[in-house]
Amino acid sequence: MALAIPKIPDVLRLPKIAVDRRRALTAAGAVAAVIAVAFIGWTLHVGWTEDRQVAAFGGHVAASEADLARVSAKISSCISSRPEYPSVAESDTAMREFAAIAEYGRVVTAYHRQVIGADEVPEAYTGVQSAYIRALDHLNRAFSLWSSAAAAYDAKAYAAAKDHLAGADRAWKDYVAAIGDYDRELRIAEEGGEIPPA
Amino acid sequence: MEWKDIIPVLAGGLVILVVALVVKPALVGEPAVATPGPVLPAYVPPAPLPAATPFPEVGAAHTRTFRWTAIDGGVHTTEVRVPEALFLAHRETPRFADRLAWGRYALAEEDRPILADLARRIAPADGNPEEEYFGLMNLIFFVQQIPYEPDNSTDSYIEGALPRHARPVKDGIEYPKYPAETLVDGKGDCEDSAILLAGLLDALGYDTVLLLYPDHMALGIRMDGFHPYYAKYTPKYFDYGGKHYYYVEGTTYYGGKVSADSPVLRGKPFPIGDTEDASFGSVKSGTPEIVPLHSIPAPAEYRIRPARLPAGGA
Repeated sequence: MALAIPKIPDVLRLPKIAVDRRRALTAAGAVAAVIAVAFIGWTLHVGWTEDRQVAAFGGHVAASEADLARVSAKISSCISSRPEYPSVAESDTAMREFAAIAEYGRVVTAYHRQVIGADEVPEAYTGVQSAYIRALDHLNRAFSLWSSAAAAYDAKAYAAAKDHLAGADRAWKDYVAAIGDYDRELRIAEEGGEIPPA
Repeated sequence: MEWKDIIPVLAGGLVILVVALVVKPALVGEPAVATPGPVLPAYVPPAPLPAATPFPEVGAAHTRTFRWTAIDGGVHTTEVRVPEALFLAHRETPRFADRLAWGRYALAEEDRPILADLARRIAPADGNPEEEYFGLMNLIFFVQQIPYEPDNSTDSYIEGALPRHARPVKDGIEYPKYPAETLVDGKGDCEDSAILLAGLLDALGYDTVLLLYPDHMALGIRMDGFHPYYAKYTPKYFDYGGKHYYYVEGTTYYGGKVSADSPVLRGKPFPIGDTEDASFGSVKSGTPEIVPLHSIPAPAEYRIRPARLPAGGA
């Protein structure tokens, strides 16, 4: 028995598309233009956001450095103004000033650590941010140990004061190392490229 | 779709580009740096220390007479007057447990006028280096001849009892005396003599340190060089801060009274730098911890390194 294939009704047939080359090109061009605009816009947006993040981070580092410069000036003044042969009263006065500077330094570093730690930075700058925060942490620890040394001195526990100052010196060396890391990371972030060995 | 349909799309894109490349940098330029939340506290300078109240010269006082032998063999009598209020104030002051802080006793401002007066009477200034040396030696001999009495002996105190702030330690009692207390008691142990001698020499402008041994305390006096012709020993000194501090014994004075009923002492004083005749093994061969009198604890590291700012930072 021969099978007969039924005829497809006209309504189910795909309409014939009359391809107009000019219109097709125009449509493709429009799509390409939209994609290009979206891409360029997105790239610009990302670049602008990253620039803004870096600038904000840089502004916070600048503010931190300005405050640290003030702390540094006070430290230098305090250390350099100490008499060569101080009396007990002069020693006590100098240590009280030392304690006040230590407390100021501790507050300054804690404050900027909080601010800079909250910054959102581009991926390329995470190492920079992390190194700077590390530096502030070490400095904060050094200032805390200065405070402890001053308190120990006040309690006439000179050996404990010496120990605290020795600990502060170690923390200070860690801070110097962290600032070195920060400079290296910043150079890499700004110039691009691989991280050279420390 | 006609060209006329694409033109608005392209125009829109162009506007976005212009805004992004020209208008945004012109308007925004440096992105505004958000001011952090909490305000940074300002530096608070320390309050000035109250000035010490001087003790009145008038009023009750302890007067003590010392009979001692000078470097030339002459016997001298020296009287010292200490206001009772000062003495009692010292007795009521708690002692420092940390021996590194004992230099504070030697430099006590309240004792300074008494020490300066006593030092000048024993070692008058006359500008002659030879006389100055004799004066220095006389001061040392004066202190060495103050009778030794350990802290745990009630005979060491004019009250005949241990002071309230005498501190029990592992091997007895510790009570470092202010110079004025040693003068009033007329007795003391090694640290009391070293502290008194340090206070007297400091009043004359000598640079001294305390030499801290595990079982003894002595004095170090700064000298650029000390090679006395009479010395049959190598004068011992210790380096501290690039300076030489020669050993000075404050206590041990050999001998006893010339006769049973005589108050005159005979014996051999310890000259500067002599450790070979010392009775302490630690003094003969050990190295003491040096306690500077005029020193303020200071960190070795304190310079803040300026950090380079990221591009775009203020």
